Amino acid sequence: MSDDFSSLDPNVQWIVSEARRPVTVDAAARGRLLEAIRREPRPDRSSPVVAWLLHPRHFALPPLATLAAAAGLVGVGILTGLAFNWDGRAPTEQGSPVAVDSQLPDSGASRVIKFVLIAPQAARVAVVGDFNGWDSTATPAVRQADGTWATFVKLRPGRHEYSFVIDGTHFVSDPNAPIAPDDGYGQNNSVVVVGGRSS
Amino acid sequence: MSDAADVQRVLSGDVDAFARLVDRYYERCARFAVRMLGNRDDAEDALQATFLRAYRSLGKYQERDKFSAWLYRILVNQCRSIASRRSQRERVFIREEAVLLNAPDRRPTWTGEDEEFVQRVLAELDPLLREAFLLKHVEDMSYEEMSALTGVGVSALKMRVKRACDRLRTRWEHIKDE
Repeated sequence: MSDDFSSLDPNVQWIVSEARRPVTVDAAARGRLLEAIRREPRPDRSSPVVAWLLHPRHFALPPLATLAAAAGLVGVGILTGLAFNWDGRAPTEQGSPVAVDSQLPDSGASRVIKFVLIAPQAARVAVVGDFNGWDSTATPAVRQADGTWATFVKLRPGRHEYSFVIDGTHFVSDPNAPIAPDDGYGQNNSVVVVGGRSS
Repeated sequence: MSDAADVQRVLSGDVDAFARLVDRYYERCARFAVRMLGNRDDAEDALQATFLRAYRSLGKYQERDKFSAWLYRILVNQCRSIASRRSQRERVFIREEAVLLNAPDRRPTWTGEDEEFVQRVLAELDPLLREAFLLKHVEDMSYEEMSALTGVGVSALKMRVKRACDRLRTRWEHIKDE
């Protein structure tokens, strides 16, 4: 399947050429950006080991037995919370929900996925997806002390679509996850892949 | 000065080095954001969020990755996030379909006013197709780079780009026949 520029339909080539033209944006926007950056604290250096430990998508624990999972997951929750701050996604900074997930090895082929949403203003949060029939009452998240909401779902290997539901009506996708095609209701769902890369 | 050197200088406390990175990538990122999101207000929000997040997360940047690829990954995610949060505005584009369909065929005189037309036909694409099309043909990325950036397999990305090209060609032919 060749799709170099020269092999494109001439009219598509024209569209590409036009789309490649520089765009003009508000000249003051760059100035505002640099002002905002100068107000930021200096970014921290992370050692590769620390960065790996704090990376929400690659953090993993040794296989956990089901009965021992609860205690182990408390530690994961703490580390994941730290990851938000290292990533600059604290609730007060972001001002909007942000979701991450961590895959925890399970004893079988399935994996336990942690879904976290930063939504300090929410009264209720739930995760819906193809794994629970999109039932907003099936998988409620629990509010954490830092304003985040978290819940765990055991998923079979494969691709799963999901979304968060805030206060029963407001659907929020994970901005850092791949987005599934529009489901026909104007909602872009997120995708998590169990047993492979999730983003 | 290389990107990696500027990153090291930022981490050593030289904020001006980050300004150089912004200068180096701002226009490319702006182009992608405008083409992806369809309007400048959203694009500026995406740019602001992208560079701020990059600055805050710079300590986690690994030099084995290209800075530009790392930055683009943040940008793509910010554009996805904004598009998702502002889905209501996305629907406005759909309603504008009638305006587009009823517009006179300007093709014989299409010259410098073509940006609006391009923006509209791009906006008609599914966001995932649009994203793949822009990364491939406008940002001139390889499929391997796109795959590393999006987490989507090369074959799936090729299909998305092909589908996007097919739809753009069909859309154009439809307009020609009006």
